[in-house]
Amino acid sequence: MEENEKDLIEINSIREFVMASRIDDAVKLIALYLGDSTEENYIDRLENIIELLLSLHGGRVVLRFLIENLVIDISSLLENLSKKDSVLRYTFLLLLKTICENECDLFLPYSEDLLTSDEPNVREADLQLLIYMAGGDNIINDESLIRSITLKLTDEKDFVVEKAIQTLKAIGEKSPSIVTKVLTDFVKENSQVPENEELRNSVDSIIKSFVTIEKIEEIVEATEEKKDDDLKKEVSEITDKELELKKKDLELKKKKLELAKKEKILGEKSIKEKGKVLKLKEELLVEETKLSEEEILVDKAPMKKIPKKLKKEVSEIRGKEIELKKKGLELEKKKLELEEEGKKLEEKSIQEKEKVLKLKEELLVEETRLSGKEILVDIVPMKKVPKELKKEVSEIKAKEKELQKKDLEIKKKKLELEEKEKELEEREIIEKEKTLKIKEEFIEKEKALSQVELELKQKVIKQKEQKILEEEAERVDNQLKKLSKKEKNDENS
Amino acid sequence: MPLEPKHYLKFLDNDAEAKDRSELLGLLDVRIRALCFDECERDRIVCTLTPLCSKRFLLRLRIKNNLTIQDLPQFCYSVHKGVIERHFRNKTIIYRPYDAYLYLIDFLDVFFHGDYRKLNKFISLKNWGDAIEIFDDRINNRNENFSYLLTKNYVLFKFEDKIHLIFLNKGYVLCNANRENIVSLEMIYGLCKLYADIYFPEVKLKIFGSNRVEIIVKIPYDILARIKSDATEVNDSKADDYFWNTLWEDLNALTQYCNEIHLQMDKNQNLEIALSISILTSNYLLDEKRALLRFRDLKLILNFITRIYTDYYIIWV
Repeated sequence: MEENEKDLIEINSIREFVMASRIDDAVKLIALYLGDSTEENYIDRLENIIELLLSLHGGRVVLRFLIENLVIDISSLLENLSKKDSVLRYTFLLLLKTICENECDLFLPYSEDLLTSDEPNVREADLQLLIYMAGGDNIINDESLIRSITLKLTDEKDFVVEKAIQTLKAIGEKSPSIVTKVLTDFVKENSQVPENEELRNSVDSIIKSFVTIEKIEEIVEATEEKKDDDLKKEVSEITDKELELKKKDLELKKKKLELAKKEKILGEKSIKEKGKVLKLKEELLVEETKLSEEEILVDKAPMKKIPKKLKKEVSEIRGKEIELKKKGLELEKKKLELEEEGKKLEEKSIQEKEKVLKLKEELLVEETRLSGKEILVDIVPMKKVPKELKKEVSEIKAKEKELQKKDLEIKKKKLELEEKEKELEEREIIEKEKTLKIKEEFIEKEKALSQVELELKQKVIKQKEQKILEEEAERVDNQLKKLSKKEKNDENS
Repeated sequence: MPLEPKHYLKFLDNDAEAKDRSELLGLLDVRIRALCFDECERDRIVCTLTPLCSKRFLLRLRIKNNLTIQDLPQFCYSVHKGVIERHFRNKTIIYRPYDAYLYLIDFLDVFFHGDYRKLNKFISLKNWGDAIEIFDDRINNRNENFSYLLTKNYVLFKFEDKIHLIFLNKGYVLCNANRENIVSLEMIYGLCKLYADIYFPEVKLKIFGSNRVEIIVKIPYDILARIKSDATEVNDSKADDYFWNTLWEDLNALTQYCNEIHLQMDKNQNLEIALSISILTSNYLLDEKRALLRFRDLKLILNFITRIYTDYYIIWV
């Protein structure tokens, strides 16, 4: 009871302020009154305020101030009202009518979001506000908003559908071409929905409501313009695609060249590595020959008794062997040199190809510019054609458009095929890149192996050297022993 | 000249064969169905703010003919109930819901919200003891301001100046009774009794069979003796003014609604005004039949009695 009395006092003072035209004070008091509310009594207080404003002469002005100063937020207000009885909800909406008609900027920003509300009453109220807005001097031509409203034609609640129909009719009065376009698109998109017949009827009734003889021309012109725009769009899309494809083509070629370069570099690397290995082998060979000569020299001492002819033959054979090995190495060197030359030639050809590709790219850009201009020239309507010829011209234009469309379709298909080809090429390149990587790894492994081999050979040579040294030392010892024995025997004798 | 409503009425009354009549009524039925279930309810804002039948009289037609709630346009009925509730709570409304019919449970929901299920059960089972207990509890302990009277076939409620009647045998309620016709003498007597209990307990109230109800209100001799005998001498006295200038106008107006009005002096020289009321008034309709008494007519009679009683009887007592 106390709370009710407090409410009454506050409501009365607000009433007095409004009646005395002290709107600012009334707004402040309402803000305080609503601000002091709890979660439980907020809706009741809001209802009290709405009730009061409904019954007062200056209620609309106060309400406008409340909305402008964000004391009442439209979205939450509609949501709260949806919980209340329909009489309050709709009478309040009626209160907003003139504000909507005159100041639709207050509501329009919320409209699209409110259309997606889970609460059907909110969706309905929002559509009603849009009807009021369209009823004023405002022209609603936001395509996205109109599309959102059109989506409500398939709303689960019949009353929302009905309101959406009314809204589109109201908006269509001033923006017939946009509404017609959005509706026809929507029907096309939903051509496979089972409730399509109902939808078609609704759309039919909407379009019929605002299509008059005066507006037909406007709609037809707009639709023709839109068709032209669509054609332009399609043409530009196709040219864009063509450009993209050509760019891709160039990129692929570049990649191929890069791959070839990489292959070449790898080949060079492998050649260098092989050269190094060969050099090492050469050095080893030299060392080996030195060692064998040393061996021979070492062998000479015990083989004092071997005939000189044999010695000569042996040394000749060894010399020939060394010469053969040297010749083999020289041959390999020559091979490597030849390969290097081949790679250089390839490099040159690649550079030339790159130059040609750059030129092609430049040509393409110029071509596309020119084709864009041509299309624009084609689409410009013939305004100065005499009226009698208009029909023929329009027929020819229609046929031209059809042909253009067919051309475009063919181009599209071609482009699709080309795209697929490019994809395949890309895949090939990727595969090649993979094999190159494998090759690189292989080369590195080879390198490692050859190093290991070399190390092994060096070890073997060292071992041989040691053996030779040991044998030499043994031989020296034995000879020294023999010499000492001989000396002893000579002394004894 | 196009067809006019009177032509239809004439056709239905006299000229039509049964087949033609049913065809014509069939057309009317189709039209009403389309109006209620399609055209009006399709747009809920229209249905709420500007219903396509004035003050939803087509709902009244349906409820009074014992159609169930399922046979009614649901949204329209919910708004109708909402309007009655808002009117009851003195909130803003689009029209005053006079002579509005509700189903019993909805009436109890609006006017006795906390107890409506129990009351519905008690009233349906005619468990009057428990029902009266709830009513009395609300009046005595919950500061609710209403009066009620139980008769054989009705329960009458008076909330401030608004009258609601439960039709016990029909399962519906007439809210804010105003222009509706009073259909039985029991109803007239009940209303007189309800008003008498509140405003004029010492007034004689009698029911004569199924014919009429008689109310006799008395103006004491002392009051009459103080009134100037010459009309030209009337000064500022309220009583003088009333008896010389207004009383005869009131009585003249009431003659339309009462069967008879008798003015007589009793043995103590008090003036007795006897008003005889039945369901038929003294007014005649275009078809030369007597018009039925409406709730608003009866209220005029009762207000007249209340005025005489409070202004000239109680003061004297």
